[in-house]
Amino acid sequence: EIEGAPGAPLDVRCLDANKDYIIVTWKQPAVDGGNSILGYFVDRCEVGTTHWIQCNDTPVKFARFPVTGLVEGRSYTFRVRAVNKSGMSHPSRVSEPVAAMDPADRARMRGTSAPWTGQIIVTEEEPAEGVVPGRPRELEVTEATKNYVVLSWKPPGEKGLEGVMYYVEKCVAGTDSWQRVNTEIPVRSPRFALFDLAEGKSYSFRVRCCNSAGVGEPSDPTEATTVGDKLDIPSAPGK
Amino acid sequence: LTEEQPVNPSTVKKFAVAEGKHAKFRCLVTGKPKPEIIWKKNGVPLDPGRRHLIFEDREGYYTLKVLYCKEQDTGLYVCAASNALGNTLSAVHLSVKSAVRF
Repeated sequence: EIEGAPGAPLDVRCLDANKDYIIVTWKQPAVDGGNSILGYFVDRCEVGTTHWIQCNDTPVKFARFPVTGLVEGRSYTFRVRAVNKSGMSHPSRVSEPVAAMDPADRARMRGTSAPWTGQIIVTEEEPAEGVVPGRPRELEVTEATKNYVVLSWKPPGEKGLEGVMYYVEKCVAGTDSWQRVNTEIPVRSPRFALFDLAEGKSYSFRVRCCNSAGVGEPSDPTEATTVGDKLDIPSAPGK
Repeated sequence: LTEEQPVNPSTVKKFAVAEGKHAKFRCLVTGKPKPEIIWKKNGVPLDPGRRHLIFEDREGYYTLKVLYCKEQDTGLYVCAASNALGNTLSAVHLSVKSAVRF
């Protein structure tokens, strides 16, 4: 530390860069050491080296200097020292690195990189076993006449249920004997019309999902619906 | 289009899967512009198909999935990446072990 020398210049930046020159700017030090600043020296260092080169032979008065003599395409950092009649300041903090290239070239190069591939990792996976679908939801009797009953429901919530179909089952109220209605062909749509119900009898209904993996658990059964001249539509389950 | 770099078989990592299982190959690829990826087996490009799934997974890994591996799937698998600035590749050797047990 030289007695009476200025403080280090601040905030060294590159204002403008191209392949011929880079304009470096800075702010004057906070303290001048009691003597007015005579000027500044700008140093440059090529990125990847530790060798600082003084750019100007005589101190520059203004806080702005175009650095020339750069190699096109190389990147540089800069620092600045202030001088008064007592002596030289410590160097400033180093600027961000800047490449000596025209803005168009810089824009073209920005963010581009050759491909890189990491080590390939191979893992063995179990072929996904078919998952049996869950229970259909919100089954209800939407129509009931003496000739037919119409049921509708919603598919189970799980994802990945392509190929889901349904089996409808009926049960005479008061018994626990469920019979599959569509024994041969499962239905694709979430509704079904049943015929051939015995007039005067009460039935409950329930629906199961199936896919290639198997047949799932049944839905909650409907409340008993009596087959007759009069429509007898029970309230939806849970209501 | 891209000059194939030689692959030294002695330095290639080896993996094995059981016959009938799926083999998942994951490769992290960087580069800008975004590289074009080709998966190859024994030098032959693999097209997506019923047994070969080719996709970029959620974490950004380029992924090849060989489903229901057969013994014929044994071979040298390469993930080749190329963009305007160059090309590179990574390779592994897969062997499919017979499911028959003695």
